[in-house]
Amino acid sequence: MNGQAASTVFFYVFAAVSVALAVATVISRRILRAAVALMGVLATSAAFYVMLDAEFLAGVQILVYVGGIVILLVYAVMLTRSSELIEDRPSGRRRGAALAVSTLFFVAAAGAFVASRFETLRPGALTVSGTTEIGRRLLDQGSTGYVLPFELISLLLLSVLIGGVVIARTNPDKGEDAK
Amino acid sequence: MGSGWETTTLAERAAEAMPGSLLAGAGYVLLAVVGASLFVAVLGMALIYAERKVAAHFQCRLGPMRVGPHGIFQTVADTIKLLFKEDIVPAQSDRVLHLAAPFFSMMATLLALVALPMSPIVQVADMNIGVLYITAVTGFGVLGVLLAGWSSNNKWSLLGAMRAGAQIISYEVSATMSLLVVVLFSGSMQLSRIVESQADGWWIWRAPVVGVVAFVIFLIASLAEISRTPFDLPEGESELTAGFHTEYSGLRFAMFFLAEFVNMFVVSAMATTLFLGGWMPFHIGGVESFNAVMDLLPPGAWFALKSAAVVFLIMWFRWTFPRLRVDQLMKLEWKVLLPIGFVNLFAAATAVVFGWYFFPF
Repeated sequence: MNGQAASTVFFYVFAAVSVALAVATVISRRILRAAVALMGVLATSAAFYVMLDAEFLAGVQILVYVGGIVILLVYAVMLTRSSELIEDRPSGRRRGAALAVSTLFFVAAAGAFVASRFETLRPGALTVSGTTEIGRRLLDQGSTGYVLPFELISLLLLSVLIGGVVIARTNPDKGEDAK
Repeated sequence: MGSGWETTTLAERAAEAMPGSLLAGAGYVLLAVVGASLFVAVLGMALIYAERKVAAHFQCRLGPMRVGPHGIFQTVADTIKLLFKEDIVPAQSDRVLHLAAPFFSMMATLLALVALPMSPIVQVADMNIGVLYITAVTGFGVLGVLLAGWSSNNKWSLLGAMRAGAQIISYEVSATMSLLVVVLFSGSMQLSRIVESQADGWWIWRAPVVGVVAFVIFLIASLAEISRTPFDLPEGESELTAGFHTEYSGLRFAMFFLAEFVNMFVVSAMATTLFLGGWMPFHIGGVESFNAVMDLLPPGAWFALKSAAVVFLIMWFRWTFPRLRVDQLMKLEWKVLLPIGFVNLFAAATAVVFGWYFFPF
């Protein structure tokens, strides 16, 4: 039973860290620090996935969110002017609006939480999880497969990529001075 | 594939010991942490010494000779010096991030080390997503470099960090493409199973042609990821002083430095594990007498020798190739390596589907 006790302890440690970092993300005045805290939140959710035996998901979580999205965020912050990196003290109107929106969101989230039933899958149902099964499902054309959404997403990503290239392309008439 | 090797990891032993006594389980965790830290420290010093000696001999010099026989304690002395130096944080910098950045770099390196199978019995954790895991945790390294550059409040640092970030993100794509070739052939992302799948021959030559191409792409892309020459323009001293770690000193500079050198080992170990058979002795499928001779050397020594050979290759590159320009760097990745990587991956998939590889028993 020691193993179970240890994983319970780990769960609470990670949960506490996750909540603390989430709060830090919101209240930090410096955007870059908020980005780092956000990275912590995302990394701790990867830890939860590992505890649920969803290692592939955890790996993808780190790869996509930490290695991709947070880096992109940091880049975006770094490319903006540094005087704008510290947020101003918001005006009263903005504070009021923020309070209203966040209260509304909290009520909606809490409502969804109360209304939904979290059914536990029967024990052992998840043991087949793992990379091979995920790979099969992604390329399966049958009713349990996800080949259509998978291909649609790749099409979307391709169009985004081409769009990015078109935007980044300098005008060939202007010569090569703009890289 | 039954290769006859009994494999175990530290994590497995800890899991076995855990139900009996919590202390034993915790002991294994402690062993892993202390072992990994010691390993990194000693390996870092050894690599720095090797780099100096290799560099010296390539230039017909002797290199460090004074401290200890053939200067083997020179790096130890330098390390102690670095530990005692003042740790300066620039005024006007983002203090917290400036202090935290080296830890992100070090964390990426340490996390990658955890998954490497160094011998059948020396591996900390054997995840079934091994390859994906190693690709994923390198993301922390990019973050460390970017934060270091930004928080230093210095133009050179920021420019160096931007260059490093763009370079690492770009070349990660090619490196992953070449890793996928091996994943396709071995049918697993688990590093220990990838090693075991090479019992009859290493993937670099057992996978016809595509193995060699993938190995070369992986080596080039990884060199760029760890910013080694010819891809060391993030710290090109003629233009950027020292890049993202210009403002770092003392212990924190030592951590960046250490992470850089140990990353070189991680890349070599990954190349060894995926393409050169990991800790597997050099076997030719079916030739038993030859294989028996090769088995005389223990697997751990095989791993060390192979990684050392790749490390030497990387150090050799440094004194052979000139540094690339930024536009050449990007052109090389997006217009040369990536198309070759895609075609190679496609060819590899075809070869796997039709079973076109050597020793298919």
